This record gives sequence, C-alpha cells and structure tokens, in this order.
Amino acid sequence: MNFPAGAWSPATGGDQAARTARLMVYGLLATILMVFDYRGGYVSEIRGRTVVLVEPVLLAVEAPFAFGRRLGEELRTRHELQDRIALIEQQLRTREAALMMLEEFESENAELRRLLEASRRVEVAFRAAELMSIDLNPYSHRVLINRGRRDGLEEGQPVIDADGVIGQVDQLARNSAHVILISDPDHALPVRVRRTDLRTVAYGTGQINSLRLTDLPMNVDLEPGDVLITSGLGGLFPPGLPVAEIRTVTRQAGEAFARAEAKPLGRLDRARHVLVVATYSSVTDEGVDAASDAMESQPQDAGPDSIVEDAEATP
Amino acid sequence: MSRPTSLSKGMLLSLFAALALTLMPLPDEVSPARPYWVALVLIYWNLEAGRLRHLGQAFALGLLLDLLTGTLLGQHALSLIVISYLTERFRNRLRFFPPWQQAAAIMALLFNDRIVQLWVVGLSGDAWPPWTWWLAPLVGLLLWPWVFLMLDRLRQYERLQKT
Repeated sequence: MNFPAGAWSPATGGDQAARTARLMVYGLLATILMVFDYRGGYVSEIRGRTVVLVEPVLLAVEAPFAFGRRLGEELRTRHELQDRIALIEQQLRTREAALMMLEEFESENAELRRLLEASRRVEVAFRAAELMSIDLNPYSHRVLINRGRRDGLEEGQPVIDADGVIGQVDQLARNSAHVILISDPDHALPVRVRRTDLRTVAYGTGQINSLRLTDLPMNVDLEPGDVLITSGLGGLFPPGLPVAEIRTVTRQAGEAFARAEAKPLGRLDRARHVLVVATYSSVTDEGVDAASDAMESQPQDAGPDSIVEDAEATP
Repeated sequence: MSRPTSLSKGMLLSLFAALALTLMPLPDEVSPARPYWVALVLIYWNLEAGRLRHLGQAFALGLLLDLLTGTLLGQHALSLIVISYLTERFRNRLRFFPPWQQAAAIMALLFNDRIVQLWVVGLSGDAWPPWTWWLAPLVGLLLWPWVFLMLDRLRQYERLQKT
C-alpha cells in the first residue's frame, strides 16, 4: 500500500552528486545566516520584521491553551476564590500602608532635589502582561508575552516581575512580543551593588538561574548576599530595580579580575504575570556622563554583545 | 497520479500539526525531550510518498521553525537539510526495512541531528542542554510507528477522495 502510482524513480549517480552539491550550498547558506543572526545586524532586523508574519500562527496555537487555562480558572470553586480575594486584600492593605510612608519620602525627596538643584528622577509606568503558554526553544532564553506594538510597547523596554528584573523587550509584533531574558549569554545589564554603590555589568550565562560579573577589581568589597540593582546607566532601565543576589565571589590567584556569580531575583523560569516598564523622562545629565564612563570600562572580551552595543551602552 | 512535488492538503495539514505540536506547552521537566515532530513528518513524506524531497523545501521549513521558536536563524534549517539529505540517500534501503528496523534507523537519523544541533548550540555559547535532551530521539523512535500509520491513513483517505 505504500507504492503510489507516480512513485519517483531512484536517484542515479549524477543526481546524487548534484544533491550533495546542493546540500553544501544550503548548509553554507544556513551557516552564514546563523553567523549574521548571532552577530546581530541585518539578519536580526529581517527577523524582527518576519516575527510579524509568523505571529498569526503563534496566536492560533496559543488560543486553545489560553482557553483551557481560562476554563480552569472558571471552574475554580467559589470558596477558593473567596480565600484568594481575602489574601489579596490583606496584602493590598499592607502595601498601601507601606506606600503611604513612601509618598511621604517622595515629597521629601523632591524637596531635597529642588534644594540641590538636581535633575528630576525618571518617571516610570508599568503595563501588565502575561506570558504566553507557547514553548519556544528552551535554550534561546526568550519568552513570549501577550502585549505588543498595539499596546504601546517599544523595543528595549525592561520587563520585571514582582521580585526583580526578568529581561527586556526584544522583538515586537502587533499583539505579542519576544522578551530576551537577562540570563541570555548575549545580554548585559548595568548594575549597582546596593550596599557599596559599586557599578558594574551583569552578564547572562546561558543558565536560567545565574548571572556573572567578570570585570571586578581584585580588592572589590563584595560579599555573598549583596543585592544588585539596576544602575540606570544606559538609560533603558530605570535605576533601583532589584536584579540579583550575589552567590559566590571568587578571586583566583594569577587572574587580573575577580569574578562573582549572582542569582537573579526575578523568577525567570516561573513568572506568569510580568510588568513592562515604560520610562518617560530622558536620562539625567549625571546618567549620560556615567554611561559613557561605563562604555569605556566595557571589558575587551565582551564579544559580540549586540544587546550591549545596541541597547545598553548607547544612551 | 500525484505529482511528487505538489503540496497537497493532507501534507499541509500534517506540517501545521507538527508545528503546533512543536510549540505546544509542556512541563519544564519533559520539554527538552520533546520529539522533533517536523523532522518525523518530513521523513515520512520523503520516504513513503516521495514528496517534500527537495532540500530547498527542508530549508524553508527549517527557517519557518526557527522563526516560530525564536531559535538562531538557520539552526533548524541546517538540521532539516541534513536529515532530508540522509533520508534521500538511504531512501531505497529504509523503505524496505521491517518497521522496527526502520524506526531504529529513524532514531539514528534523529540522534545524528542532535549532534548537529549541539554543535550549533555549543558554538553560540548557550548552556549545555540537560540529559533529557538526548531522550528526544528515543521518543521519536517510539512515536514513529504511530506517525507512520496516521499519515498513511491520511494519504489513503486523500487518494480515495481524489478518485
């Protein structure tokens, strides 16, 4: 039953050679594409455009799963829901109390800044988004969110969850967007140590639960447990968002720099609801100076960090 | 009757199903062992129907898959042209293998593909995939007979409709 009437005849020797040649050509083409995509240039741009074309397929595959999730929520018992509402209301009250204190601080801070004639703090707005259920390639360190250009998202905007920074918007389609996680090996994030105000850059390692700091001086004051926050240099991330917690610091004898490993605070692998941060006012003067400083102090071995070059270092 | 290179409705349907299954959400523990659906479908159409046998078609399919899954552009394209080439090369032998032997050969193909992909993953500096990643060819082996039977049925149905 497996013999269709129009079965194609077996390949002859010459045909085989031609096919091998074609394999070489296509293989070369694929390799060139990969190299260019890795480097981030034209091909990445083309890719950004085509994301819009494949979006309908993604949405079509997503739809039944989104519906299933919705159904699951619909079927929750009333009791469960009431419990949850009570819990959330309680949380809301504590947060509101904390917020009242913060408002006091904010007005005080504005007053002090006016006295010091310092520039205004960056204004931010948050837009809620949800991760789509679709599985992308698990090694690409990218996730899809259900907000896109139509919701006013822009490329490079930070994405956070309740605990810390997750990544930034990479490619935009109309109703969805790719988010590149901070753990991507191509991603670099300017950070500051909260305790010591030391400025440095946190690189992705390709592992979802770890970031690395490479260009630290040997005598650096850094301990496990120190919290890294965004420094605001580069102008894309507002300053002060929690990023990661230092896990280990290693000072290898004979090396020029100390290294540290940090664990991201945001739940990169488990977050379902995220916030996209839109920054309003431009970078402060101080920020621009510091950013160019940071650019000079970029390590030589940073490699083809397209994100660093495109998004972070240029203010 | 059926022109070997023409795209039939059944083939498009099976390809779309393969893409959907590739994107389907799975729990984190088992998602690395997700079988290479597109490769299975591609191998079937090449082997049994003599369709989708042009390297260009495999290449285009691979690029589409790269775009959909957010992989480095060209990784799946490379892997699928290698699969397509090898299937074509050993087509005459593979077709007359008994089913279990054929499934074993498919596993070897998929295993070879894992190595090709590992090469790309390694060069682009991503993390080494977990051990479950190597289970994917095995899952492919177990699934092959079912994919085979289902697509055979689909093709038969289509042929009946045509006549």
